[in-house]
Amino acid sequence: MADKPNQDGAPAPTPEQEVRRLYEEAETRVARAAERVVSRDSFGELLAMVTENAVALTRIGNEAMDLVLRNLRVASRQDINRLTRQLGRTEDKLEQVLQEVEELRDELGSSSNGTARSRSGGASRSSGASDSRRRNTRRSSGSS
Amino acid sequence: MTALERLVRTPIAALEFANTVLTERDAPIGTTPKDVIWTHRTTTLYRYRSANRRYPVPVLLVFALINRPDIFDLRRGHSFVEFLLDEGYDVFMVDWGVPDESDSDQGLDYYVCDEIPSAIRETLRASGQDEISMLGWCIGGTLSLIHCGLFPDTPVRNLLLLTTPVDTSGSLYFNWTARDSFDVDHVAEVYGSVPGRSIDWANKMMKPVTNYWTTYRRLWQAIYDGESRPEAYQAMAKWVADNPPFPGKAYREWITYMYKENRLVRERLRIRGRRVDLRDVDQNVLVVTAGADHIAPRQGTLPLLDMVGSEDVTHFDRPGGHIGLMAGSRARKEIWPDIAEWLAERSER
Repeated sequence: MADKPNQDGAPAPTPEQEVRRLYEEAETRVARAAERVVSRDSFGELLAMVTENAVALTRIGNEAMDLVLRNLRVASRQDINRLTRQLGRTEDKLEQVLQEVEELRDELGSSSNGTARSRSGGASRSSGASDSRRRNTRRSSGSS
Repeated sequence: MTALERLVRTPIAALEFANTVLTERDAPIGTTPKDVIWTHRTTTLYRYRSANRRYPVPVLLVFALINRPDIFDLRRGHSFVEFLLDEGYDVFMVDWGVPDESDSDQGLDYYVCDEIPSAIRETLRASGQDEISMLGWCIGGTLSLIHCGLFPDTPVRNLLLLTTPVDTSGSLYFNWTARDSFDVDHVAEVYGSVPGRSIDWANKMMKPVTNYWTTYRRLWQAIYDGESRPEAYQAMAKWVADNPPFPGKAYREWITYMYKENRLVRERLRIRGRRVDLRDVDQNVLVVTAGADHIAPRQGTLPLLDMVGSEDVTHFDRPGGHIGLMAGSRARKEIWPDIAEWLAERSER
């Protein structure tokens, strides 16, 4: 039954293959329909409302939990966050200081190299970073 | 397959299916050896070890604030990082880490004006070069673009933007978030950092049947037919399920600036008081779009081609989705070589 060729000469599909094809076709249609549903304005409104409710419930839960912990004289999440933020700000400042120190060290290194070179009569070379950039005047749009 | 074979095959396939789904968290991803170059708060800059360096200009990879950057290095044999290393590039990658509520004060300016410049600086110091190539994907692309627009003197020679949202009008996200009833300030204020699962849920709801049903049905079919590649499924499933929170301030600014007010394309975006002028983007620019991208649709990226001030702008458009374009099974043949070729021409000294 499975080997009986159709009009194109290809073997005719088995009932199982036919069922699978029909199922996949139905699934594709349902998927497209679902995508149309979620792209509607009404779904957007629904999503906004669900989000608002979820946010409100989260806020109520968090506040209640924080109140319980505070009354128990235990550090709540808010307290820990405040502390972590302070640590973050300290890290920011340390990072800035570190970058300044590294830049000063680089400057010091390059100036002492320059002094050494001028003492030995060597010419210093500029890195020419901006000059090395190649400018191509091509503006292409290659698509396959 | 006879009826008897089918009878035997079904429970075996069910067991294999359950095993594949249940053990997906154990799949090894992001396994290419790397060194930590720099850390600051939750951000880490990695450098991948290469024994085959041919091009002096290093490549800095910048991923989105949602999901993890492991997608650049998904699994052995299917890793973009591994591919770049084989091609001879010195590869660095920014990992934004896993922010929590205490990081809710980090806005887009923090990433664009603090973290990206620091990552560039550390990349230059580690590589000993004076210019880099920056490759941004999705939100990472937009952040990279904003950075180049804001800092005309940035030492970025080549800017590669993959599936990057620029003009969001007409996208499904725009339809969902740009409406007044979606109070992004309220969401950001209450959550501090918006849970990654919520963002993942929203992403999946864009194609609900495909994401919540067809993926598993196809896996079942492949297992039943004896054609499954569990390692491929598990690596991708693990990456998809790993959703770090989105820092509250950054989320609020991203939704407001990019969706509610669409500021970037309207040239109204200001970061730390300075206007982002895309005409100042004079790097060699490669824009890659995906034909079936529903998160950052192609038409939302194309305006960029005419907005940047660069004289060298190239556009690749390929079939595929937002992630599948770069991480799908065909990426290694269809898009990676083109990117490497484009980069090679612009990475010589």
